[in-house]
Amino acid sequence: MYGFHGRFLHVDLSSGQSAWHDLAESRLRAFFGGIGLGTSLLYEHAPPRVDPFGPANPLIFASAPLAGTGLTTTAKFAVVTKSPLTGFIADSLSSSHFALELKSAGLDALIITGRAPAPVYIFVHNESVEIREAGQLRGKSPGETESLIRAELDSPTIRVAAIGKAGENRVRFATISNEGRHAGRGGVGAVMGSKNLKAIALYGDREVPVADARGVKEIADRLRRRSLGSLTDKYRSIGTVANLAVFNRLGTLPTRNFQQSTFDHAEALSGETLTENNFSRRHGCASCTIRCERLFKSGDGEEQRLEYETLFALGPLCGIHDPEIVLRAARLCDHYGLDTISTGGTLAWAMECGEKGLSAEVQKLDLRFGQPDAVLASIAAIAERRGIGALLAEGTRRAAREIGAASLCWAMQVKGLEMPGYEPRSLKTMALGLAVSPRGACHNRSGAYEADFSGEVDRLSADPGRGALVAASEDFAAVLDSLIVCKFLRKCFTDFYGEAAELLSKVTGWNCSSGDLRRAGERIHNLKKLYNVREGWQTRDDWLPERLLSESLPTGVAQGTGLTQNELRQMIQGYYQTRGWDEQGFVPEKKLMDLGLPTDTGSSLKVEGWTNAGDVEV
Amino acid sequence: MGRPKALLPFDDQPLIAHIVRLLQNFFVDIVAVAAPEQALPQLPVTLVRDEVPFQGPVGGIYYGLKAARGEFCFVTSCDVAFLNIALITKLLSYISDYEVVVPEWEGRLQPLHAVYRRSVMPLLRKQLERGELRPIFLYDKVRTRKVAAEEIRCDDPEGLSFLNMNTPADYEAALKCWNEKSWKFATETASPIFSLPVFVTVELFGVARLLAKTKSISLPLPVEASLADVIAALAEKLPVLVGRVIDSGGAALVNGYACNINGLNFIRSPSAKVNAGDKIFILSADAGG
Repeated sequence: MYGFHGRFLHVDLSSGQSAWHDLAESRLRAFFGGIGLGTSLLYEHAPPRVDPFGPANPLIFASAPLAGTGLTTTAKFAVVTKSPLTGFIADSLSSSHFALELKSAGLDALIITGRAPAPVYIFVHNESVEIREAGQLRGKSPGETESLIRAELDSPTIRVAAIGKAGENRVRFATISNEGRHAGRGGVGAVMGSKNLKAIALYGDREVPVADARGVKEIADRLRRRSLGSLTDKYRSIGTVANLAVFNRLGTLPTRNFQQSTFDHAEALSGETLTENNFSRRHGCASCTIRCERLFKSGDGEEQRLEYETLFALGPLCGIHDPEIVLRAARLCDHYGLDTISTGGTLAWAMECGEKGLSAEVQKLDLRFGQPDAVLASIAAIAERRGIGALLAEGTRRAAREIGAASLCWAMQVKGLEMPGYEPRSLKTMALGLAVSPRGACHNRSGAYEADFSGEVDRLSADPGRGALVAASEDFAAVLDSLIVCKFLRKCFTDFYGEAAELLSKVTGWNCSSGDLRRAGERIHNLKKLYNVREGWQTRDDWLPERLLSESLPTGVAQGTGLTQNELRQMIQGYYQTRGWDEQGFVPEKKLMDLGLPTDTGSSLKVEGWTNAGDVEV
Repeated sequence: MGRPKALLPFDDQPLIAHIVRLLQNFFVDIVAVAAPEQALPQLPVTLVRDEVPFQGPVGGIYYGLKAARGEFCFVTSCDVAFLNIALITKLLSYISDYEVVVPEWEGRLQPLHAVYRRSVMPLLRKQLERGELRPIFLYDKVRTRKVAAEEIRCDDPEGLSFLNMNTPADYEAALKCWNEKSWKFATETASPIFSLPVFVTVELFGVARLLAKTKSISLPLPVEASLADVIAALAEKLPVLVGRVIDSGGAALVNGYACNINGLNFIRSPSAKVNAGDKIFILSADAGG
């Protein structure tokens, strides 16, 4: 087998046992690696309706066929589990050396189940698996944990993914972090914490041969050259923080908990201003030529990595305009291992509750828009589940249900996942993408906003035709996330499906066509939906928060623009129709059969033509 | 003068109507600022009154800018008969890099024949609050382009643009001059109507902003200009963008950059028309974050 090891490792923390299992090539051909492979393993190994914090919920790390090939931007891995925030699939990506080490350690996937009686970390080095005590790491940040484990194992080349205090305390939007990168969304860190698993350390020297090394190198060289051209100039020159100023001008910058789509102080926080005043250095993931990462220096001389989503969520969304505060808040989130989007979204929701007099505790904290001290204090409180932090650690949807009154109206989430920094009322295709995403309000598992920013549609108006655009974007993302290729490289392909098929063929020796890849994207997306259906998805889950459907935008170029329930409903129907789903959004049996997916949602994954790995042996 | 200057008969009409008739050939948005009780004829303009009387030129400029719609305005007094379109065009062409463009004739700045950005309004308001009623106090606080006499003479050799009427003798001299030169003005005001540039503002984001070291720039363009004309004018004005943001031919954006007009429409076609007053954003084509 080329491009894969053809096996996964299962570690059961309850018993302390581990076992290697074969992965059938038919599964890999159907789902590739990354999100696709992770989803297929989740579907098979998670008991239906499993408690996300229960021992049986599998936490899956999945490698990908392109990892380790030298192709730029492919040092990535996926983390898949049942989300404690949404109750549906959580599929996150992270990147850099840990991804390469996952492959070098001989793993196509690592499945962790059970719960250790005390904090532990897993150390995998080639064939050997150790479950080691981690009591001494309790309360440490992911970065500190990484250093301590390397020191303990006396090897600077070991790669570590770890949780911080937020994960230990099962904050429902805790991250898993490695080398300053994060599997950020959906609370995968909380699932890891629920297993008493502090970290995973990897070391290996297993090489995975590719079928046509020269062919892979030729394609890699071609994409590397393109990756250094104008198509990635934004990422290479400023980073994603460049979005803020232009989003503000286009009326798509969520501000003050989505009460506005423009921020009066946007210039103070813009990527351009940060670059001029705070830029410290540029950094990149392993094997990446784009190197989009930007570290900015705050007044105390400390460096902090900042992305647009973090900047928006801890800045305009909370009414904060001081870059120093945003940098400090981002540093705290990284220290504790918190998803910055959900943290900002939850704080913004609480601020609005405070302003509306709905929470005495919030008012006591002086947690209101633009108030920096309370923001910083609240982040620590969330991570430690102290005071109001215990409520906010549950995320906006659960917290709103707890507080009651109308606060669910301004809990800006979909399926429980807090919304990213793209205003749906002025980006109508994105509005649909956010509503129907299996992960919840997500800007990564589809890039629906691309249609809005392209000029091919009127971004301020809605029509049922957006369904086809969203479905195509989701399938495209599913393929990218399963090969895995960074989305920032996506525009460097002139014919993505054709070139990616050629690349996958040269890596694996399979004879892949662009049609195979398109079908795999559709299959992977449908399997995510199928998993959600099994976990209780209902039509009402594909919807947007009340605020977006009842309030028009008050400022900016999109002033007066809203989104009606009827418009959203029509777009969703157009989407279901494009997908070949029924009017309620369920996947018909015929569609499942066409895609080679199980037709009984209660059953395990038994796809015709597959050789399943069988039940996991412990 | 002893009579309202705006109503002085000139060219068979009140002087202010003469001025408005001249300007309306070139400006779509004209604002007249009058004293609270001042009588004026019917004019095709937006009429505003001084909110507080007796605030001098600063008050007039401030209230005029406040009522205007564009990003910058040409400001004139109502007692000049010989407005020179070529000179006004020149002044407007300088505003892209400045907040104020003001001519200097015979050693005196001409604040009531100048171009002001509306962004100076807060400073003017503070001047009014402090009682600083002379416009020149503003010029030290903002980027001001002073246009020297030799530049003015290229378009207006005798400086007639600044010939205002403070006394009956001034008025008589102006009438005499008009009778001698009216044929010439008629010709000059008829022909530039087809060549006077329209102005658009290009707003730069991301890499383009960092390279150009400016957030926006105003560009004069021919009437019926297209997006390609905008890009070409931008390349000429900011050559630092050529190669990175604008292709080496200077007529199109390179792959990876996009253009949006007025924050609403993403434009792909180079032949798309632009209109006077449009705001054209140059941004990354990739909105991933």
